[in-house]
Amino acid sequence: MNWGNLRGWLTALAVPVALGVAWEVAVRTGIAPGRLMPPPSRLAHTAGALAASGELQTHVAATMTRVAIGFGIGAFAGTVIGMVTGASETARRLLDPSIQALRAIPSIAWVPIFILWLGIFETSKLALIALGVFFPVYLGMLSAIQGVDRKLVEVGRVFGFSGIGIMLRITWPAVLPTWIASLRSGLGLGFMFVVAAELMGASEGLGYLLLDGQQMGRADSILVAMIVFALLGKASDGVLVALTRPLLRWQDTVRSRL
Amino acid sequence: MTTLAIDGLGKTYADGTEALRDMHIMARSGEIVAILGGSGCGKTTLLRLTAGLDQPSAGVIAIDGRPIGGTHPAISAVFQEPRLLPWLTVGRNIAFGGRRIAKPERQRRVGDLLERIGLAGYGARWPKDLSGGQQQRVAIARALIGHPAILLLDEPFSALDAFTRASLHELLLALWQELRPTILVVTHDVDEAVFLADRVVVMRPRPGRVHEAMTIGLPRPRNKLTSEYDITRRNVLRAIDRSLAVDRATGSGFGTVSPWV
Ligand SMILES: Nc1ncnc2c1ncn2[C@@H]1O[C@H](COP(=O)(O)OP(=O)(O)OP(=O)(O)O)[C@@H](O)[C@H]1O
Ligand SMILES: [Mg+2]
Repeated sequence: MNWGNLRGWLTALAVPVALGVAWEVAVRTGIAPGRLMPPPSRLAHTAGALAASGELQTHVAATMTRVAIGFGIGAFAGTVIGMVTGASETARRLLDPSIQALRAIPSIAWVPIFILWLGIFETSKLALIALGVFFPVYLGMLSAIQGVDRKLVEVGRVFGFSGIGIMLRITWPAVLPTWIASLRSGLGLGFMFVVAAELMGASEGLGYLLLDGQQMGRADSILVAMIVFALLGKASDGVLVALTRPLLRWQDTVRSRL
Repeated sequence: MTTLAIDGLGKTYADGTEALRDMHIMARSGEIVAILGGSGCGKTTLLRLTAGLDQPSAGVIAIDGRPIGGTHPAISAVFQEPRLLPWLTVGRNIAFGGRRIAKPERQRRVGDLLERIGLAGYGARWPKDLSGGQQQRVAIARALIGHPAILLLDEPFSALDAFTRASLHELLLALWQELRPTILVVTHDVDEAVFLADRVVVMRPRPGRVHEAMTIGLPRPRNKLTSEYDITRRNVLRAIDRSLAVDRATGSGFGTVSPWV
């Protein structure tokens, strides 16, 4: 880490740290009540207790498993179907209008019908997450394939490639950046929908911790769950970026600074 | 050895634009033919058809008498822009042009060519890290690695400055002397045509067709500072004038030249 970087971090942290300290002081001196808005020390204590009992780990594992499976299914389906509709005019005319129509339904509106069809347990939750991930990945893949530079495809043809060869050597590398960006937004939505899925009834998971905190009037465990969500989301995105960075080293964009 | 025959070639695009009509060009083995013409003459169309990237509406393109129906292993091309694949290193971009060559030989040729184009040591770099002129050199190397019998060049140097252009002319001629491909080079630069070509074909627009073909008899290596060179250059300029005159006479040109100039 260089100095500029460190300064950036310090600057970014200044406001939250100042607010935290101010709140801590306000609660300790009795100016503000800490029950509904617990101060940082209380949050740290709750997090520590949840972690010590192993509860936090169970919830994190449950949530992450759901996100991983739902994201896997949604991203795979979105990639494959996006590839097919991107590559074939017929498939696009056939499928894309229906998919766009389905996309117009707010994803949460699927919850009741998923529960009716798939029960209230894991399957309906995974379906909801997968659905949320599917649309951005599908759209990203479709538009990326349609946006492949015709000039580069011609280069492939002149040098003796066709069909599958063009697909593998031109189309695929050309769509990679957009595809990866769409995976990232898909992952973000995956976290959004895992909360929705767990709020609709679960016995474990960070969403359950949220709901439980609300019912028990435990603002501290709600806030801890929220913070853990933020950390997990950021960390997963970081992992995705790190995994895909080697694939994009050739890119000449601002993303190289990411 | 390979002769390229373009015979009665015509192209009318889907929107009704007649880009080419009844084109005849014969390029003998190892010959450099320059196609000279103004913007919109159909030069790019001609090369795209020859490269097999588009289908003609009429006529045939034949290599050694055999008509070709699409892209052809003997035909290679350099486009107006470098069109390097940004996700491949410079070395792999060059190798991309040689898919039919066995790998060890391909590696050897990549190394050779990198040296020839003055980019030894650049093999592992990304195209984005090269200048425009360097990228175009890589594109030339990519087009030549497969030792094509026919090389098509579409205004390959028009985006470059005069210094770079001159050095690339030398490079192209050196590689040509070594590998002896038949070259069809499109240009609107008279100097480029006279310096490179054995024959110059001047085109006339709307629809594009051959106006006049002339042989450039200058010995190689050519010296731009001789009076023979100047005379030849002026002859080509005159041919262009004549093509414009026909254009004006038939009223198909862009308006007429003002009488005051
Ligand atoms: N895909 C296309 N569809 C319709 N018309 C086209 C198409 N490509 C080219 N044309 C038309 O055909 C004519 C010849 O175009 P072409 O690109 O071959 O010219 P050119 O001689 O290469 O010009 P320049 O020197 O500007 O590159 C032009 O009138 C152009 O508008
Ligand atoms: Mg052109």
